[in-house]
Amino acid sequence: MSKTQTVNKTQVINNAEDINVKAQRAERIWRVSITTIITLFMCIIVFPFFWILVTSFKPTSQIFGEGAYSIYAGQLVLDHYKTVIFEKGILNSIWNSFVVSSITTLYVVCIAVLAAYAISRFKFKGKSFLLGLILAISMFPQMIVVGPIYNLFTQLNMTNSYFVVLPYSTITLPSAVWIMVTHFNQIPLAIEESAKIDGATPFETLSKVIFPLAAPGVFTTGIITFIAAWNEYLLTVTLNTDKNYHTVPVAVSFLRSQFEILWGQVSAATIVVTIPTLIIVLLFQKQIVSGLISGAVKE
Amino acid sequence: MQKTLSFREFLFILPILVIISIFSIWPILDTLKYTVFDYRLNDQQKSQMFLGDRFNTDLFNENIKYVRFYLNKDKELIQDSAQKQEFERLIDYTQEMMAKYENQTGVIELSGDEAKVIEEYIASIKEDTESLYEANKAANLANGENLQMIIAELDKSFIGSNFIGFQAYGQILTDSRFRIALKNTVFFTVVSVFIEFVLGLALAMIMNKAMKGIGLVRTISLIPWAIPTAVSALMWSYMYDGGSGIIAKIAADIGLIRSPEHLLLTGAGAMASAIISDVWKTTPYMALLLLGGLQTIDKGLYESSQIDGAGRIRTFMSITLPLLKPSILVALLFRTLDAFRVYDLIAVLTGGGPGGSTETLSIYSYKVMFGQTNFGYGSVIVLMMFFCVAAIAILFVKVLGADIMSNK
Repeated sequence: MSKTQTVNKTQVINNAEDINVKAQRAERIWRVSITTIITLFMCIIVFPFFWILVTSFKPTSQIFGEGAYSIYAGQLVLDHYKTVIFEKGILNSIWNSFVVSSITTLYVVCIAVLAAYAISRFKFKGKSFLLGLILAISMFPQMIVVGPIYNLFTQLNMTNSYFVVLPYSTITLPSAVWIMVTHFNQIPLAIEESAKIDGATPFETLSKVIFPLAAPGVFTTGIITFIAAWNEYLLTVTLNTDKNYHTVPVAVSFLRSQFEILWGQVSAATIVVTIPTLIIVLLFQKQIVSGLISGAVKE
Repeated sequence: MQKTLSFREFLFILPILVIISIFSIWPILDTLKYTVFDYRLNDQQKSQMFLGDRFNTDLFNENIKYVRFYLNKDKELIQDSAQKQEFERLIDYTQEMMAKYENQTGVIELSGDEAKVIEEYIASIKEDTESLYEANKAANLANGENLQMIIAELDKSFIGSNFIGFQAYGQILTDSRFRIALKNTVFFTVVSVFIEFVLGLALAMIMNKAMKGIGLVRTISLIPWAIPTAVSALMWSYMYDGGSGIIAKIAADIGLIRSPEHLLLTGAGAMASAIISDVWKTTPYMALLLLGGLQTIDKGLYESSQIDGAGRIRTFMSITLPLLKPSILVALLFRTLDAFRVYDLIAVLTGGGPGGSTETLSIYSYKVMFGQTNFGYGSVIVLMMFFCVAAIAILFVKVLGADIMSNK
């Protein structure tokens, strides 16, 4: 009797160990497959950049023909970089992008902070209409403003200038307001109520009490706006036909529309113009992610 | 507790109202106006929008002088007195009208009666000079051809209204190129958003599990989203290139296409290329958005479902999906709209080719507006896009219940 009991006990223990081992194995397989998938995913993301980088150092003779598909074609040259920097003026387009994106960010963030504060804090007639309007603007096709804006700019002689930042508001303002409203809503009302009791005007409350608290949100809004302005293509290609006012996306797209497609120069230019974006992403990835998510995730 | 804004509070929203009015609302209304005119920038008589008829007095005055000048010159060569008289009658006739508009400058509006008079006047001058020169063919008059050219110019000084009402809306219904562009746009949108959603959700769930190294994955995921679409399109167009593109070569080697050149030179290949580039650029972004949503789900719920013995699939269907639904709908809505409005990617990658097989509505409307400088019809196409976008938004918000306004 007691013998069978002992046997049963060991069996139970063995079974338990069995299950444990199985679970561990399943766990390990699960981990390995997750790691594999994520690694594969990252390789796919990185591959185009890697391939462009490889191409940018190849001599032209190796970009076409046999050398085209090998990673190292026996020779590394800097010719393409020299050409795009010194002859094609790619640095000038980076400068233009920098100017245009900075101006856009400055004025759009100011306007968005004011509007978002009003939406988050004041109660007024037509508020949901204003919100709906801002949302609708973020949805409609950008193409619909291009024709009239083109005519307006031609009449006022504003084509080929940095005035292009003004219509940039159509693409950047809605999301900026949206992100700011989310951030303001997270700041407790009690803080500004006490400021109000102390006799502060709404503007003082905003600038001295709320703004410091909302600073991370403002920063996030700024980064998202900057990237959106940096990437804008349609308005600049239409309004600024002069090469001297081309921003990065437009300048790069024009490298292709020549008689010959100079892939060496295209890849060198791509690498050069990707560096600023890469720096922004590396420095501000936390803010970017929070900005993207605050527009899209309900909490 | 709604109240009207005090002036001081109104100042907070004044800047946004001004900017939105000028650069978003006004252009939309202006586009609406373009759609009811035959408005073409490179056509002298249609480069502005006129409800009524107009008269370019500068052009008229300048040309009528030349008409008189040539008639006077040729009159000298005429011997026959009856014909000479006919010349004089015509010269007097030009004098009449010239006197009437001599002191006017620029383009003036015409009343219906005036318009009729001028139209008939120009027509009769044209007719009379033609018959006069026909009658005096034998005299070898020097300026017959010049005169006809001048009169053709004179004719342009009368500018008929280019108001066409809803004619262009009728035209678009029978426009097969529009139908193809719409089909391409819908196809591109549905396929790319579907792939992005499935892959994005899978990646988000995996990233939600794997805690180690998530920072690096997140950073790398941001890069495709952050670089300009035009730049990424160019990058891919190199890899798709028939002569030296690695993806074209691989696709040909594994037998997907007959030769590397076929990738961008066949309709299906070009469309697939555009979709792949879009998926590459936005799947990581979609994954990040959905990951954000996943992280708001209470971990305790998963634990209790595990205790209750629910399997992975069951947990996914009854916990993850319902709780993630708001995030999914918002992400899908904005991605669908983005894909529907696609311009940069296609413009740089294929330009709408080959043979219009990747031409989306944005590309078509831009070509009509800025390639053919036909702002009227181009605006109609854009407006149709606008309606489609509105329909998509309504579908998501009203039918599927996407909650986009809740963070008020």
